[in-house]
Amino acid sequence: MKILAVLFLLAGFFFTAVAAIGVLRLPDFYTRLHASGKADTLGISLSLLGLAVYEGFSLVSVKIILIAVFIFLANPTGTHVLAKAAYRSGVKPWTKKEGT
Amino acid sequence: MTFENLFIALVIGLVVLVMLMLIRVYKGPTVYDRLNGLGVIGTDAILVLVILGFLSRREDMYVDIAISYSILGFIGLVVIAKYLEGREDSDA
Repeated sequence: MKILAVLFLLAGFFFTAVAAIGVLRLPDFYTRLHASGKADTLGISLSLLGLAVYEGFSLVSVKIILIAVFIFLANPTGTHVLAKAAYRSGVKPWTKKEGT
Repeated sequence: MTFENLFIALVIGLVVLVMLMLIRVYKGPTVYDRLNGLGVIGTDAILVLVILGFLSRREDMYVDIAISYSILGFIGLVVIAKYLEGREDSDA
């Protein structure tokens, strides 16, 4: 059971680090939003699941699962609202012809 | 390797990720880039809060703080995005 918790925590930190590197390095606003919308949600959810497995079944682990479910719903919603706001105010998507 | 060392290493790694996101918040070309970086900082801070609760053995208190922080971060992100929606001068 503890090995499962360590595996969840390390996988979650891996995906969170990938999301951070993607937000830092990708060439366009929409591609950066892609990194933070999916990889960050998966990383945080996996990490919280690992912490809940480490805690065992109690009120604290139920609350941690509640945070994970809320982030799983709220983080893509916030990303979608942000993408729509940016598109309506005229942020151009990145194309290959314009160079890097 | 005990869980204490693993938690301390995870907190240090997450603080490094928050520093990287501060670079994006500082030099983002549009205001939406800054907002995106602030959202990623918020979700990382939730994880840091829960891990700090496990480190100091007060996890029942820190988990409640993390719940309210996640809800407030989401509402703040949506409100600021709706406030900025439709503006032409987005390179602020």
